[in-house]
Amino acid sequence: MVDGGGGVLGTLYRYELRMLLRDTRTIAIAVVAPLLLFPVLILLAREAERRREAVIERATYRYALTGTEEDFAYYRVQEALAIETFDPDTAARPPATFLHDRSPNPDSLVRAGAIQVVVEGLAADEYLRVRARELAERPGEDSAALAELAELPEVPVLRLHYRTDSDVSRAAFERLQERLEQVRRQQRDSVYRAYGLAIDLSELGGLEARNVATGERETGALLGVLLTPLLLFLMLSGGSIVAVDAISGEKERGTLETLLTTAARRSEIVAAKQLAVVTVGIVVTVVNLANLFVYIVLDLIELPQELAVSIGPLSLLVLLALYLPLTVLVSSGLLLISGWAKSYKEYQLYFLPLFAVVFLPSLAVLLPGMELGSAIALVPVAGVAVAVREVMLGELDWPFLALAALSTGGAAWGAARLTERALSTERLISGTELDQADLAGGPALFPRRVLRWFGLLWVVLLVSSAWAGESLGLVRQVLFNVVGLFFGGSLLMVRAYRLELRAAFALRPAPAAAWPAVLIGAPAALVIGVGLAEAFQRFVPVPEEVLRSFGQFLGAGELPLWQIVLILAVIPGVFEELAFRGVLMHGLAPRLRPVPLALAVGAIFGIFHVSLWRIVPTAYLGVVLAAVVLLTGSIYPAMLWHALNNLIAIVPVELGWVSEDYDLPMWSYPAASAGLALSFTLLWWTRRAAGKMQHVGTGPGGGRP
Amino acid sequence: MITVQVEGLAKTFFDEARGAIHAVDGVSFECRAGTIFGLLGANGAGKTTTLRMLATILRPTAGRARVMGHDVVAEPEVVRRSLGFYSASTALYPRLTARETLEFFARVNRYPRERVGARVDELVERFGIDRFESVRVEKLSSGMKQKVSIARTVVHDPPVLVFDEPTVGLDVINALEMQDVIRALRAEGKTIIFSTHVMSEAEKLCDTIVIIHGGRLLASGSLEEHRRATGKHYLEDIFVQYVREGG
Repeated sequence: MVDGGGGVLGTLYRYELRMLLRDTRTIAIAVVAPLLLFPVLILLAREAERRREAVIERATYRYALTGTEEDFAYYRVQEALAIETFDPDTAARPPATFLHDRSPNPDSLVRAGAIQVVVEGLAADEYLRVRARELAERPGEDSAALAELAELPEVPVLRLHYRTDSDVSRAAFERLQERLEQVRRQQRDSVYRAYGLAIDLSELGGLEARNVATGERETGALLGVLLTPLLLFLMLSGGSIVAVDAISGEKERGTLETLLTTAARRSEIVAAKQLAVVTVGIVVTVVNLANLFVYIVLDLIELPQELAVSIGPLSLLVLLALYLPLTVLVSSGLLLISGWAKSYKEYQLYFLPLFAVVFLPSLAVLLPGMELGSAIALVPVAGVAVAVREVMLGELDWPFLALAALSTGGAAWGAARLTERALSTERLISGTELDQADLAGGPALFPRRVLRWFGLLWVVLLVSSAWAGESLGLVRQVLFNVVGLFFGGSLLMVRAYRLELRAAFALRPAPAAAWPAVLIGAPAALVIGVGLAEAFQRFVPVPEEVLRSFGQFLGAGELPLWQIVLILAVIPGVFEELAFRGVLMHGLAPRLRPVPLALAVGAIFGIFHVSLWRIVPTAYLGVVLAAVVLLTGSIYPAMLWHALNNLIAIVPVELGWVSEDYDLPMWSYPAASAGLALSFTLLWWTRRAAGKMQHVGTGPGGGRP
Repeated sequence: MITVQVEGLAKTFFDEARGAIHAVDGVSFECRAGTIFGLLGANGAGKTTTLRMLATILRPTAGRARVMGHDVVAEPEVVRRSLGFYSASTALYPRLTARETLEFFARVNRYPRERVGARVDELVERFGIDRFESVRVEKLSSGMKQKVSIARTVVHDPPVLVFDEPTVGLDVINALEMQDVIRALRAEGKTIIFSTHVMSEAEKLCDTIVIIHGGRLLASGSLEEHRRATGKHYLEDIFVQYVREGG
């Protein structure tokens, strides 16, 4: 037998599409039906709206008068209706016809729809009684409303009763209210005139608004916001046509086992299915956009007047580069749920959560003040959505554009790997999902679950920061995050997986030589960290407001020195180490070799510092501390190192020994490099002693690999 | 020539309700070219799990297996190229025609591209598929589908063929046809691994019969050797005796 060459992927892809094209029912429902249904729906909606407007325009509104000041109400309404009938402003719209209805119980007639609005005239004291009673009936005390009530002048009040659930009642109310407001203004002007204060607003100075945005920028702002959510919606719904059939459909038909027994590699099968999902997703998107274009040409959909699209070839390339990882992410996500689902029905169950997870971040672009130059660039999908808007506005912020593409690309790569694994898993064939570790639970399962736990902690950290955040103040926020979240979460993990406490937290004695190594290494590493942070800021400058708000947040100047030391050095030194270099490292250690382990622990530690500008220095510190624990086998030197690092970074500034913008002299960097090298040489030299101590300290098997 | 070697092969599944299930528990055997190797066992004995491990769909918990000298864990793609797998649960794509099905499986099994057409022509004629080669699989009768399925299994001309309970659900005529095909493939020098719980089939077809029960291999040998070892004539009696002794 001779190898047939690299055509397997192509064969799988071609046949996947061929089979899909022969599924006429799916094509009809997914592609043709929307093409036919959308115009019909749009026409029906427009016709319904036209009729509604016509009904409102032609309507004769019936109103009733009531209340202790009915006469007052009567005269005001008559004046209002006179304006409605004779005011030249009504030329733009025909005047509404109002008929006075007399009824002993007008409110019930409003509810029944027989009349549209009731005007209730109330004397001041009566109005106060009615309002006070209404406020008392509401749950909770509205003290602001009560105070406002007490300050009302003693004049009669008109109350309009209407129904928001009736278009006609609402239209009647809006017209009458507008005209009654005009009556009130006219009365005020006549009082002014009586006191010789007649003045027209135009005499006080002119006021004119001028829009300086170009048509291109306006269009860019509009399309930039809409484009990503729209494309995602179309890709998800279009790609789903293939994805549902691609794995869960094959499982249901029994063809998956046939396919898996062929010589095709799992990666080829996944790639071919992914290509098919992407192809169909793109086709459905193009068809729908073309459909949209036709509606626009046929005037079924109205566009803003000054629509001007201007995207240069470079911007177009950037858009493609941003959308490519997004497309892969969507197709991988769809295939992943198809792989997890045992049937079509189960796929449909998973589709909605996937849709929410992929689609909702794209709405970040709608948030006010959301700019790409923030941590949003690191959030998959959301970063791309914001980046696309900025590209459409003609702004190309390269480092952040790259970050946005990379964050979504990373998520896409992860999803593709997961999909490949889903196709390799025996669950597809044997129906069982568990393995020995799943069944046994406990420590054996922890290495596979540790990242999920830290992911959850990260989400809680993000949500709590967004909700309470800076309003908590420094002390409470450090206590909540570091002690409550990181340490509390770690204790939960220890308990849930029955971990041995000393091993999980690396609570082992450290060799004596580790301590001088820490005393040399901590300040040296800090200096290098400062250098790294400054180098990073050359590429991604820290905005002034970020620095200011961080300084305000710290607000440590208001605290006594011992509290600064406790809150900013000791507590993070102890509890962050227990969580990150303790439990996290303990969980990841069985799966990673030492160097990737230190890098992974450092990266995760950096990500937990959320702000983009703090990620690089804190990730670097995390890597260094992980190396310290790996070499000493103990958490204690890392705790001291971490506390010293924070102490040296914060206290001299707080005590005014050095200014905030103090620049380190150039010679400090080579000196620090030498210090760090010396420190790690010492640690390396003592690692054998550390190994023996771990053995003594925890017994066999207790040591870290 | 030894084509398939299985040593201490084991597979354990883990189930929340039942705990650890040892579906296959240290099975060892060897198969030779030009012979039919029968795995005989009741439902749930571990036959399908063993064959799925050979086909690299399931990963062994312990032990090792080699197909044409290639390890099923280390070289799964090479193993699958050397193997044709047929079972009642390996269905065909309903929206492909019979001919397209054969072309598709020849290509994805990396059969030399320039020879795919000729190979498909040969199989279409051999299995009498020419009458319905352009008909979609979804419109074929079960007998026609069976023919396409067998042709699909051998389309890339693999030296080892696995037939997992191939006659389940077939009528007598189709079951006999299947047996004829299997004999013909043996005559071509293929290694056939054939699992069944039907005693008469194993008696008629297999050169070597392995009795498997509760995931463990109880006995292995030709029908004559089993008769001599147990003193029983009928395979049914031989099987029951082994199960009682082994249980």
